[in-house]
Amino acid sequence: MSTKEQRERIELLQGTLDLLILRTLLLGPAHGHAIAKAIEFKSDDVLQVEQGSLYPALHRLIKRRWISVQEGVSENNRRAKFYRLTAKGRRQLVVETSKWDKLARAIARILRPAE
Amino acid sequence: MSRRDRMMQDLDKDIREHIAIETQDNIDRGMSPEEARYAAMRKFGNVTRVKEEAREVWTFVWLEQLLQDIRFGLRTLRKSPGFAAVAILTLALGIGANTAIFSLIDAVMLRSLPVHNPSQLVLLKWGARNPPDTHGYMSAGDCRNDLRSGADHPSGCSFSEPFFREIAKANLFSGTAAFANTGRLNLTGNGPATVINGQLVSGEYFRTMGLQPALGRLLDATDDAPSAAPVAVLNFGYWQSAFGGSRDVLGRTIELNNVPFTIIGVAEQRFTGITPGSDYDVWLPLSDGQRIGASGPFRWQDRQADPAFWWLTIIGRVKPGTPATQTQAVVSSVFRNEMLHGSVPIFHSGEPGGGPALIPGAPAPAGGNTIVRREIGTAGPPPPAAGNVPISGPPPQSAGNKPTLLLGPQTMAPTAPPHQTESASAPHTLSTVTDNPEVSLVPAQSGLTGSRTQYSNPLYVLMLAVGIILLIACANVSGLMLSRASARQKEMAVRLALGAGRARIVRQLLTESVMLSLLGGAVGILFAYWGAQTIVSFVSSNQARPLGFATGVDLRVLGFTIAVSLLTGIFFGLAPTFRGARVNLTPSLKEGEGSSTRSAHRPGKWFSIGNALVVAQVALAIVVLVGAGLLVRTLQNLRNVDAGFDSHNILLFSINPELVGYKGPQVDSFYRDLQGRLAETPGVQSVSYSMMPLLSNGLMVTSFHWPGTPQDQQSESDMLGVGPNFFETLHIPLLTGRSFNASDFAISASNNGTTPTSAPTPVIVNHAFVEKYLGKENPLGKRFGESAADANEPASPGYEIVGVVHDAKYNSLRREINAMMYSPQSAGGASFELRTAADPQAILPAVREVIAQVNTNLPLFDVKTESQQIDRLLFQERLVARLSGFFGLLALVLACVGLYGLLSFEVSRRTREIGIRMALGAQPESVLKLVLRQGLVLAIVGSCVGIGVALAVMRYLASMLYDVRANDPLTMIAVSTLLTLVALVACYIPARRAMRVDPMVALRYE
Repeated sequence: MSTKEQRERIELLQGTLDLLILRTLLLGPAHGHAIAKAIEFKSDDVLQVEQGSLYPALHRLIKRRWISVQEGVSENNRRAKFYRLTAKGRRQLVVETSKWDKLARAIARILRPAE
Repeated sequence: MSRRDRMMQDLDKDIREHIAIETQDNIDRGMSPEEARYAAMRKFGNVTRVKEEAREVWTFVWLEQLLQDIRFGLRTLRKSPGFAAVAILTLALGIGANTAIFSLIDAVMLRSLPVHNPSQLVLLKWGARNPPDTHGYMSAGDCRNDLRSGADHPSGCSFSEPFFREIAKANLFSGTAAFANTGRLNLTGNGPATVINGQLVSGEYFRTMGLQPALGRLLDATDDAPSAAPVAVLNFGYWQSAFGGSRDVLGRTIELNNVPFTIIGVAEQRFTGITPGSDYDVWLPLSDGQRIGASGPFRWQDRQADPAFWWLTIIGRVKPGTPATQTQAVVSSVFRNEMLHGSVPIFHSGEPGGGPALIPGAPAPAGGNTIVRREIGTAGPPPPAAGNVPISGPPPQSAGNKPTLLLGPQTMAPTAPPHQTESASAPHTLSTVTDNPEVSLVPAQSGLTGSRTQYSNPLYVLMLAVGIILLIACANVSGLMLSRASARQKEMAVRLALGAGRARIVRQLLTESVMLSLLGGAVGILFAYWGAQTIVSFVSSNQARPLGFATGVDLRVLGFTIAVSLLTGIFFGLAPTFRGARVNLTPSLKEGEGSSTRSAHRPGKWFSIGNALVVAQVALAIVVLVGAGLLVRTLQNLRNVDAGFDSHNILLFSINPELVGYKGPQVDSFYRDLQGRLAETPGVQSVSYSMMPLLSNGLMVTSFHWPGTPQDQQSESDMLGVGPNFFETLHIPLLTGRSFNASDFAISASNNGTTPTSAPTPVIVNHAFVEKYLGKENPLGKRFGESAADANEPASPGYEIVGVVHDAKYNSLRREINAMMYSPQSAGGASFELRTAADPQAILPAVREVIAQVNTNLPLFDVKTESQQIDRLLFQERLVARLSGFFGLLALVLACVGLYGLLSFEVSRRTREIGIRMALGAQPESVLKLVLRQGLVLAIVGSCVGIGVALAVMRYLASMLYDVRANDPLTMIAVSTLLTLVALVACYIPARRAMRVDPMVALRYE
């Protein structure tokens, strides 16, 4: 990636990657590459996930039992791991989302007090 | 394959897949395959780091690092085996001593009762403002009883049988049990006659405790009925030792006090009695008490129906779900009702004519009315007040296997003459409203103290001593680690330079020290096991009965050891660790080893952690040594006490012909016969007998009216019944008057028996008696203690002094010699004293033969020499003196090893400096002095600090000391001199090495 691109894209805040993964999986099970693509696509390429960092995050979520893994076949007919949101993860997503909303509102109030 | 490994394999596949898809996407967008793959890799990022991070998700990183640290620590220790051995041994001694003493404390004080779910068991305990007005009160020492009328709040845990039956019937508990001692039982029907120890238990006893039989069945409610056939349950250990563990015992008949009992079962192995430290050979139904005790001491006829005879300890198992307070309220109200409205006339219990017959069968040693506290002053005061008087004796500590005989209410019971009752006008109750009698339910675990109290003080003292020793060991190893830390500075510097965090280094060093202490703890457990066994066997060899405490390493002890080891490791590891991590990088890396250590510790700087640790060790060692010194001197003082009689070459044995059916005068003539036969045995110089041996802990006190004092005032004297030739046999000099003759014994026998004479009982008093009561007056012919018949007592002719003997100690060596009177012994059990020409043990077979000739069914018990008896009497002092002496020496050695270690290290560190000094012309002597001075100053400073601490602490020891003050200057000086001398030796070895330093070698040292 070029230096220009880097300036336009935003590094993810610590921990928000977990939230984004959970949100992405809410739409249905997906494999690693698909999750990365989805996050990039939905954020209009503003959010740049270093694709590799997705995997430790996925393992963290598996360990917390927020997502589960199953074998599946990817679009180009290869066997791949599919990640699926668990019930516990679904609940956690609600919690994390509301936390994020609060944080965003708070920061917005500080940055633009007049509005 | 672990989950982590599986996840990592999957991750590999995932990553490959991911990059393949991304590459394909790129190719689709028109890149060349090579470019596409490169872009995909770039977009993915650092594959290795991703894998590392994912791996960390599945790993306990600290655990892996801990394993690394342990492996590294073991390697380092193997590289310096000398250091490792000294450190581990030191810690093993410290931790082992603590574990040993703790395992004893655990066994004696902490272990839960050996029954099912002991937390549900409660002990009934009464309390009142004034002691109740009982006919008799017995306790087997299961719990604390305080019956003194002056006591703050009299309380106890003995109750009457009617009260127990009422509580049991009320169904307040899921199980209610009562028990009491049988006293000594004469057993025949299983080889030679023996004396065993039993417990009477109510029918629900075993069910309430939740116990299972090891063989056969246990007692149940049907056995505890007057009509039931007498049955017995054996103790597992007793079954093993006396019956060889044979299964044929079921259905066998044994005779206890001439009553046949059928053995129905054996209790489970862990159960030797509910009370800690108790150990009973058999359990018999409560209803059989009268059968085995009919010929025995304490008014069995009335006991079972008399609400004023308190002798049963009651245990209940609380119903789950019922609040204890509710049950307690009900029990208390039943008790209160019995106390206040039971209207039990005090002296109205026996059938007319039943009473006097009891007197010959009075408590074996308590020969009749002489030991009774007469109630002379009670005629006037109103009944309730009079009612409180009788129970003013000291609490009956134990009526069981320990020979403590105190004038307790139980000794009064048999002498209450029933024919006097008509003159008692008002109805007496056991208590009054103002006394506020009540019952509380206390957890059986804490309420049943048993012989715990006897051991708790010495155990706490010893625990303190070993605690200090552990501190010394910690300081010692800490010093060693400190020296090592200096030597390892370069290693630490390299680690820091390579980027190790200080926290990581601290953790590694702490791991090493904890590892050392855990290894020390492991070896320490072996020491402890061996040590505790030694202590227990020492204690057991000095007790009449085996100790009912099973010691050993159980989970609690193991937990204690592990906790102590961990704490120890952290404690002694901290100082050196922080010093290790606080290395100044540049000089350490740049310079050689020698100079780097010099910068860490400048010579001439007196305050350093090393010096402080040695001073602390010396001070702590002084504290332990002073304590040990005081206890050893206490033992010496007790051994050197003038007992007033010659305790060498005396053989003692006890015998009780009443247990096999001898009655009244038969007993006396039996004794006289036996005395004559024994006196003719070769090797025996002289024979006598007495109610109990001297210095056996047994004590009897009597009270009487002394002429010339107010009518209601009671005077007191110690009292002992003795046989003919007692004073000659024991070598107690007769000061004036005469010894007892045959007519004295005849008068005493009739006064104690059924036909009192008008002649006073002749007594011989000691010098202290004369001093206390007579002063300059001529004691011979003096009469005292006579009383007219009144409401409570028949007329008594009192006593007449016929002789005065030299003072002699009575029950114990510690107790001051009191006014004492000896009376002619009649009836009851007795202890024989045989004065022998040579070793008393040698003539024992001959003695047994003589007794077998008289009666084969008569067992001897408590056979021992008077010296052994004194050893037993002093066994607690001996145990404590020995152990504290051992710990004192241990502390001394550890402290001096610490001193030696410090100086050795200093000398090797300063080799170059010493070399330079010598090259410049210093004499070897001055080098020697240089090193010795540092050692001595440390030892002396430590001693001073130690003595200061000892002065402050030792007064807590005062109750255990005899004839030596807690701040005894001699002990302090002796102990510090000893320590300084040993310290000098410890300093001399490194000092001599310093003296022999070759300047040339030293200068080339680096």
